[in-house]
Amino acid sequence: MDEFLQQVVTGLATGSVYGLLALAIVLIYRTTNVLNFAQGEMAMFTTFVAWTVLQRGEYWLMFPLVLLMAAAMGGFIELVIIRRVEGAPVLNIIIVTLGLFAILNNVATWRWGGIPKGFPAPPEIQVTGVKFFGEGALDIGPTVVSYHDLTILVFAVAIMAALYLFFQYTPLGLAMRATAQNPIASRLMGIRVGRMLAVGWALSATVGAVAGLLIAPLILLQPPMMMGVLLYAFAAAVLGGLDSPVGAIVGGLIIGVSENLVGTYTPKEWLGPDMKLTVTLLIIVVVLLIRPTGIFGRRALRRV
Amino acid sequence: MLKLREVVAAYGPIVALHGVSLEVPEGSIVTVLGANGAGKSTTLRAISGLLRPREGSIEFEGQRIDRLSAEQIVSLGMSHIPEGRQLFSELTVLENLRLGAYSRFAGMASGIREYRQRRRDFEAALKQVLEYFPILAERKNQVAGTLSGGEQQMLAMGRGLMARPRLLLLDEPSMGLAPMVTREIFEIIHTINRTQGVTILLVEQNANLALEIAHYGYVLETGRIALADTSENLRKSEAVQRSYLGQ
Repeated sequence: MDEFLQQVVTGLATGSVYGLLALAIVLIYRTTNVLNFAQGEMAMFTTFVAWTVLQRGEYWLMFPLVLLMAAAMGGFIELVIIRRVEGAPVLNIIIVTLGLFAILNNVATWRWGGIPKGFPAPPEIQVTGVKFFGEGALDIGPTVVSYHDLTILVFAVAIMAALYLFFQYTPLGLAMRATAQNPIASRLMGIRVGRMLAVGWALSATVGAVAGLLIAPLILLQPPMMMGVLLYAFAAAVLGGLDSPVGAIVGGLIIGVSENLVGTYTPKEWLGPDMKLTVTLLIIVVVLLIRPTGIFGRRALRRV
Repeated sequence: MLKLREVVAAYGPIVALHGVSLEVPEGSIVTVLGANGAGKSTTLRAISGLLRPREGSIEFEGQRIDRLSAEQIVSLGMSHIPEGRQLFSELTVLENLRLGAYSRFAGMASGIREYRQRRRDFEAALKQVLEYFPILAERKNQVAGTLSGGEQQMLAMGRGLMARPRLLLLDEPSMGLAPMVTREIFEIIHTINRTQGVTILLVEQNANLALEIAHYGYVLETGRIALADTSENLRKSEAVQRSYLGQ
């Protein structure tokens, strides 16, 4: 039982990272109808920038700085690159994001090299004697959770809550939801649709950057680090329903947990850890056969 | 208030308006009649900036607007309530109304005083819209897509009015509605014009009703103005009676 709980919690933590990256994908898909294949590489790139900043600065100073930079990068990519192919056939846009993928990957390899680097987990903070983040593990009765897993979970929940409040209660958030639903009517309301799309990309890149910063301590920092994560994230986004932010996180958690459990509990002779990706993706195929729009997806994905 | 001169508009290679000129005097209701595909909606789209005219000029309150974007034009005091309503169908009634006021409150308030002022303005506009359409108050937190056709038309109009426009462009408010509901909507349009002095440019297939409340009318045929006269004279005109009034 203890081991089972342990595996579930660890699965929830890695699942949160998949979920965050899936959320980044969904944020762009909802507003721009673009499946951003470069999402993982954008996160990888910002994590390398974070590594460079960390050579000179404090972790908690670097953190907001890198998030700002990620937002700027997301907005820049939308304004300078994606806007040129707006309204082009879907395949063209996909090719453009694949191109971005290659560019970011190559630049990172050229600039920082291909040798894996260690990346620190968020360091400890003491607030009135209570320890947050940092090394070690927390004993919560039936099982033990590492502080880093907890950190990931806390970040995922905080980001979800922040995004929910933003979309639900701010005029900008409302305008972005309107843009996603009906761009023409949005223009008639006076909403500058192009600006909303750029903000969407900026938000998405920021969420992705957090995912990169949180997963890097677990898998080492290197240019191809996000490929596996991106695959899981896409699966999570599709599983949850491509247009649902909640679905993205839930999808990520389901995949994280099932991946961990399959890796631990299926016998090596016929499945085992080597087959955990296959089994996980099989589960997704089955779910999508039953619910083609994903668990939380409402619209048919007619625009793709 | 609104002046179109020789406006030519096209969708790619297909020219929809071949030089349309029309005028909407302040405080009036002007209607544009015509068959399907005559270019009625295109005319409104050209005015509100959704479709950039290829030639000709459009003036609103003395200012050229034919090179402005739709986003800019709405903040000048003109609301376009488009064909098919174009509601945000997955958002609530209240959220739709909020978005209607977006153009007046875009950008950050510069201080707490301005923020409060904006709130008051918004509440006042909301109160007025809900007086015209009391049903919307009852449906406030309902998702727009679940409303009946008539309620959706009311929401589309309410959303347009939240911008406090001086000119309202209305595209086929009667589309798909039962005769009773249509009549109700037309009465409200009439009231908005009379009590608030909002100028209205109304595109309509239901020529009978439109000519009843309009002061002036234009008949559009394949992208050209075929007739222009007071509603009274149009109602008497044989050509209009034959083609549009079904008599």
